[in-house]
Amino acid sequence: MRKTTIPAVVTTFVVCFAFWLLLTWSFATQELIAGAVISLAVALFSARFFIHEKAFWFCNPVKFFNGLFYWLCIFPVELVKANVDMAKRCFGGCKKINPGIVKVPVDLKSDYGQAALANSITLTPGTITMEITEEEGQTYYYIHWIDVTAPSGKEAGDAIKGTLEKGLRRVWE
Amino acid sequence: MTVRIIADVLIAIGAIFALAGTIGILKMPDPYSRMQASTCIPTLGMLGAMLGALLIAIFCKEDAGTAVKIAVIALLILVTNPLGSHAIAKGAYKAGIRPEKKMDVDDLGRDLYE
Repeated sequence: MRKTTIPAVVTTFVVCFAFWLLLTWSFATQELIAGAVISLAVALFSARFFIHEKAFWFCNPVKFFNGLFYWLCIFPVELVKANVDMAKRCFGGCKKINPGIVKVPVDLKSDYGQAALANSITLTPGTITMEITEEEGQTYYYIHWIDVTAPSGKEAGDAIKGTLEKGLRRVWE
Repeated sequence: MTVRIIADVLIAIGAIFALAGTIGILKMPDPYSRMQASTCIPTLGMLGAMLGALLIAIFCKEDAGTAVKIAVIALLILVTNPLGSHAIAKGAYKAGIRPEKKMDVDDLGRDLYE
């Protein structure tokens, strides 16, 4: 089992306390103290599940702004494109579909990067990540795709997640 | 006043995408395609409605607490929705549910569940 380290506890505490502030939205001393105590208790118990890699990753400003750019610019554009495409299919009577499950290689190495990419793919209408496997050091996703236009492999990967993966590589590699 | 109009337009856009997702759920031929269509609802359908509500809360009601709670709700839906989709799709596939019309490409069935 992974050991609880002090940087991991600090990071988890900051995240929990920020969330407490957002939910209560009050700055009375009593509430702040109660929030701090509860956040510290939660951080002590759950830090080793929450932090898997370097704890102060986002203190690097370049990575932080790349992450901000990804979540505020790259991803919403892809989301709107996929949504309009899916809405057209739905209003057109749901006839123009060709569903299938393809296997695509993924080059991201870190746990967080892979999780973020899988969730981004699932959140885009038209593609759902169903399984992740690793074969000989190379990670593969099995993706259910509503309109298969390319066979499995690099080509399908570029069509599904080319832009997303490029954006995420700047954040986590 | 202009802010109110923009907010109403955003909510209407969200409603249109939610309608598209609902039509997809009712008319798509198999469970996985239905799940794909339903993803329209928690992404642009929800985001449109939440952005509209956020604008109203900030500029018309001028209530910071409500605005922050709306933002947190939108964030939580965006974070939890893919986890649910992924688990349901994988569970359905493991339970042996297959589309009636056979899929042209089915690498998951070929590799893991033969």
